[in-house]
Amino acid sequence: MVNLNAMGIVFPNMHDSVIPDLTAHRTMASVPFAGRYRLIDFVLSGMVLAGVQNVGVIVKKNYQSLMDHLGSGREWDLARKRGGLKIFPPSGYSSYEYHGRIGALKGILAYIESAKEKYVILADCDVVCDLDYAELMERHAASGADVTIAYTKEKMTPALMNNNVSLAMAPSGRVRELMINDEQTGRRNLSMGVLVMSREFLTETIRSAYSRGLVKFEQEILAKNLDTIKVYGYEYTGYRSRIADMASYFDANMQLLYRENLNRLLPEDRPVYTKVRDEAPVRYTVGCKVKNCTVADGCIIEGEVENCVIFRGVTIGKGAVVKNCVLMQNTAVAPGVRMDYVITDKDVTITEGQYLGGTRSFQVFVKKGSTV
Amino acid sequence: MKECIAMLLAGGQGSRLYALTQKLAKPAVPFGGKYRIIDFPLSNCVNSGIDTVGILTQYQPLVLNEYIGNGQPWDLDRLHGGVHVLPPYKKASGSDWYKGTANAIYQNINFIDSYDPEYVLILSGDHIYKMDYAKMLEFHKAQQADCTIAVLEVPWADTSRFGIMTTDADGVITRFEEKPKKAESNLASMGIYIFSWKKLRAYLEQDEEDKKSTNDFGKNIIPAMLDSAQRLVAYPFEGYWKDVGTIDSLWEANMDLLNPSVPLDVWDESWKIYARTPAQPPHHLSSLAHVENAMITEGCEVDGEVDFSILFSNVHVGAGAVVRDSIVMPGCVIEDGAQINYAILAENVTVKKGAIIGARPEHMEDIEKWGVCVVGEGVTVGPGAKVGPKAMISQDVKEVL
Repeated sequence: MVNLNAMGIVFPNMHDSVIPDLTAHRTMASVPFAGRYRLIDFVLSGMVLAGVQNVGVIVKKNYQSLMDHLGSGREWDLARKRGGLKIFPPSGYSSYEYHGRIGALKGILAYIESAKEKYVILADCDVVCDLDYAELMERHAASGADVTIAYTKEKMTPALMNNNVSLAMAPSGRVRELMINDEQTGRRNLSMGVLVMSREFLTETIRSAYSRGLVKFEQEILAKNLDTIKVYGYEYTGYRSRIADMASYFDANMQLLYRENLNRLLPEDRPVYTKVRDEAPVRYTVGCKVKNCTVADGCIIEGEVENCVIFRGVTIGKGAVVKNCVLMQNTAVAPGVRMDYVITDKDVTITEGQYLGGTRSFQVFVKKGSTV
Repeated sequence: MKECIAMLLAGGQGSRLYALTQKLAKPAVPFGGKYRIIDFPLSNCVNSGIDTVGILTQYQPLVLNEYIGNGQPWDLDRLHGGVHVLPPYKKASGSDWYKGTANAIYQNINFIDSYDPEYVLILSGDHIYKMDYAKMLEFHKAQQADCTIAVLEVPWADTSRFGIMTTDADGVITRFEEKPKKAESNLASMGIYIFSWKKLRAYLEQDEEDKKSTNDFGKNIIPAMLDSAQRLVAYPFEGYWKDVGTIDSLWEANMDLLNPSVPLDVWDESWKIYARTPAQPPHHLSSLAHVENAMITEGCEVDGEVDFSILFSNVHVGAGAVVRDSIVMPGCVIEDGAQINYAILAENVTVKKGAIIGARPEHMEDIEKWGVCVVGEGVTVGPGAKVGPKAMISQDVKEVL
């Protein structure tokens, strides 16, 4: 675990399009999750826990909230003189928006080439998990693979069908077929968007692919050259949630109302770091009624709340009845409000006497900063 | 050069907190769900624009040192200034423990001189309050004082517990008495002083030469300045202020956070109290939980009943367990069916199934025997065991069969 000798490269904008409501003003990586986190926290914390000390984040658009969240990287112990966190906005000389992983990586080729680490871990942010990157690296090194892709076995859903990379493997674990947005149903091996390879392999691949106009790493490079490139799969069997649309985002939050899930995603000995907000503890007043809730700091709860994930700094007034909701940071629910199956984005105000109701399969979504 | 720097006296043992200060200094005692006592004066400093703070440590400094670290949680990691932990050190002419509050400052004259401040703010690490020191400094300057002492009106009955100030109509201090039997005023010193540094420096040197002096601000420096007719003024403070030097006052100050009519608001965004916090998930209350009138923070898991209580990080309350009128510090585990009444549990206490800690005053035959019960750090209270009210436990308590 010590001296993992790998650098990380994170792609915050990959999969933005699957939840347009939540990514209207932010990247997939900075989508709030589980009361006090952003999706990228799970990637960064996992890497740091495995000893990674050099992480590049390639942003494409809408990245203000992500920059604000990451700051200097200090919260993840990534404010370093050697390595540390580097954020790469679209570069000046290639002023167009990049396409595909290769395009993104080409823009920071000099950074990758000047790194000292032997390996590179590429990671997207749409799968929330407690991946042991150290074990993944060990398996990669032991198998002699050129590329190792972390995957999970999933039952296909309509949402997953439009946005997946699936793997078919030989018993040895070597990938025989790599399919993009394949529409087969049933249980599939789906890539987690986490890939490991040597830095040398990556830089050579970027150069040769880019010069031939290829930009999609999985589709145009790996899938077409499985005979010559040794690609292996690494199965992750731990707790995870794939964010593939609004419904799966809601469900992923709701799953954390089960304590077992909360503890599997956020085990006590494997902390997930996030931006510290210096919030006071939660205040539960006389007469409040709270059942089965996951609550982050800084909230003041005076009403009745059941089956809710409540983010930092939320206030719920007297007599309000809030059930089956995900309330993001600083949502203010006035006294007497009734809400059922609602997702509120940051800084939402629900005024006195309102009733908002969705259903288990279709939740009402309230946009960032709005007043109802 | 800095206009004003703060020196925070944090070396006190806090012996009247008994089991709670066995292994740490009083300013490091956990408070209010996610803070330690020292977070209040430190946060007041940064919120008041003071960016240089010397913390004088002596008694059991390990926890405090680690907690302060580079000062980042309080935004006190600065290129010039910031927070500095100042333990006693060996000098060419020998070494000394800090003999008194004034001697502690005397031994760090070089530290203060290195910032060449106009004013020095002296604070102590054992009070809970929110105060804008910048306003006090303005007052000090406007009054052209040599020393300004923050004062609070206390009930006349309590005057014998404080340093009491008598002032003239302009607020100039005419008399200072340490814990008087018969007070002639009810203005109590809050232990917060602003000195013009040149003046204080001279009096510290003079005090050091007096072999009979106890080298204490209240007992020596202030009386000496009054005797030589220096201009000492009282700065009236209105608001919440509490000395948390005893078990009862520590319990009360914590409970004050649960009382909406007490003006101590840690949720106020404009005057945040900063703290170093562990990375913990949100807390979870299950369908079995019953929580009312409580403060609960990250990492807690509650299946039982919590009423009029404060749970610090990572506290687990089992099914059927009842926590009432109590303060439960980080990492405590309260197993199923256990009962906690009027108690302070220090860090990492385990209360096994069905154990009973403390008692309710209304259930006492002899109210004299009732009081807040304290269980020391790391103690395990066995299944079914009983710990009475007012008890002070620092050893494991065995199972009752």
